[in-house]
Amino acid sequence: MAQLDLRELHSTEFPVPDEMQGNVAITSLSKLYNWSRRSSMWPMLFGLACCAIEMIATAASRYDLSRFGMEVMRASPRQSDLMIVSGTVTKKMVVPIVRLYNQMPEPKYVLAMGACASGGGPFKEGYNVVSGIDQYLPVDVYVPGCPPTPQALLYGLIALQKKIDGQSLANMDDVPWYGVGPAEPTPVPILGPDIIDPRQMDLIRRQAELAAQGKPYGLREIPESALKRQTAQIAPKTKPQIAAASGTVEADDPEKAARLAKREAALARKKAESGETAAASVVADAPAPATGGDKKAFDKAAMLEKIRAKKAK
Amino acid sequence: MFGQGIVKGLWVTFKHFFNTYADDIKYAGRKYLRQENFEVRQGLRSQGAFTVQYPDEKLAVPERFRFTPFLVTEDTDPARVGEDWCTSCGICAKVCPPQCIWIVRGTDPNTGRPVPQPEAFFIDIDICMNCGFCAEFCPFDAIKMDHNYEMASYDRTMHHIHDKDRLSKPLSYWKSIAPTTALEEANARGGWEHPDVLKAMKKAGKTADKPTKDNMWNVLSAPANQALPAPTAPASPAEAKPVPPAAPAAAAPAPSAEGGKAKFDKQAMLAKIREKKAK
Repeated sequence: MAQLDLRELHSTEFPVPDEMQGNVAITSLSKLYNWSRRSSMWPMLFGLACCAIEMIATAASRYDLSRFGMEVMRASPRQSDLMIVSGTVTKKMVVPIVRLYNQMPEPKYVLAMGACASGGGPFKEGYNVVSGIDQYLPVDVYVPGCPPTPQALLYGLIALQKKIDGQSLANMDDVPWYGVGPAEPTPVPILGPDIIDPRQMDLIRRQAELAAQGKPYGLREIPESALKRQTAQIAPKTKPQIAAASGTVEADDPEKAARLAKREAALARKKAESGETAAASVVADAPAPATGGDKKAFDKAAMLEKIRAKKAK
Repeated sequence: MFGQGIVKGLWVTFKHFFNTYADDIKYAGRKYLRQENFEVRQGLRSQGAFTVQYPDEKLAVPERFRFTPFLVTEDTDPARVGEDWCTSCGICAKVCPPQCIWIVRGTDPNTGRPVPQPEAFFIDIDICMNCGFCAEFCPFDAIKMDHNYEMASYDRTMHHIHDKDRLSKPLSYWKSIAPTTALEEANARGGWEHPDVLKAMKKAGKTADKPTKDNMWNVLSAPANQALPAPTAPASPAEAKPVPPAAPAAAAPAPSAEGGKAKFDKQAMLAKIREKKAK
């Protein structure tokens, strides 16, 4: 039963008198912190395949995850600590899974439940299945079984709790999320020759040809629409815009303008350099994303008008 | 009338809900005190819904429950304790749907002939889908499905690729976890012994005891050996097979010598392999 027992928390360096046993605990910050953390592991609410049924059974009243403080299955990655990868991870699904993992706040844990999530299971050589989520995410606990029974899953969760108990605040290897600076996000797998995005069949074919010739073929590029969106977010300034911006700055502060000009020159140099190195890659024959400006901007009102006119006919 | 089905369905839920409390009153605090009470409450005749307090109390698994496979080793014949039942025929590796079994067959380093004993045996339990085909197909009853499901670990490659040492479990373990199934299998084989031993006994003109529940736990006081002549060397039935039962087995330091041609001697072969490996 999940009852608060202070004796459980007590670390035995200092003796507590007998009459105070259970009322007072002298403990380290690490232990207190780990105890509170492991007693409120909130798993993320998502299931992938048949293992999810067993996960649901584990969460239901018969096995009752709430005895471990895990009953609060959060539907948002922002509020969850534990990702139970319950089932077959297809190549299409691995992208959102890694993205969800990146959206979880630290400290976060991953439990690979069942044969498919741990090693691909019966589909390990399938064209559409990732053979083990551990190729993309750092997995903390592997639970074998096909699917694991609720008790096997509970055993895995208890193993995870034990792992958390072993972590120390003093050791930065244990708790890297308290390090300086933001944590590096896990790279989201890019759909490529292996993980096929059918919209990019042409490019994949070209890449395959290059690979067959032994040339570097690189990863698949981001789809054009996504690239446009990204460029709009990060660098919306095409050349005339930059010129205009720098013009306005010049009027304000000549020193700032000089710095900006220097930076631009450096950026241009860098671009040229990277362009040279990447010349061999496919990027060369992809349409330059920045030149998308010569296309007419999307006009929603006009489009709607057009659609309406078509419908009226 | 609309909604009748919903009411009917909810009535079942409500009955369970109500019975949970009714049962609590009936048991009045004895709920978790004794193992029998726990089993009654979790059994088929239970009325309410009760939580299994997992790490403290565990639900008994049914006898035919399958988790991961294990290899059966001999433990009834004191002369051959720890020897594999497996003859490394490789049928399990062939039928395994997810292909998680890896066998290296033993070969005689001198002649290059195969030895009926696996040199290495690996099962990746993170790939295993617990289907039990390996146990189903094994002609020697040498691979069986285990009941132990508590196998979660932090490292897949270190702890979840089981080697022969990890997989090997004595036959008595199988008898203890699945007594009925083990008895059925023994009846089908014709005795509690390994099929090869039974074959040798038949050749020697002896019949094995009919397997029953009573003689299940009998450790052979070497009846398999007694059935065969020349029990001097580490008596293996295969070794003694060529010697006819009527043959004068008095001077039997080299049972193979009298046959003229040396017949296959498993024990000696294994010893040789072990020696060579140790070097």
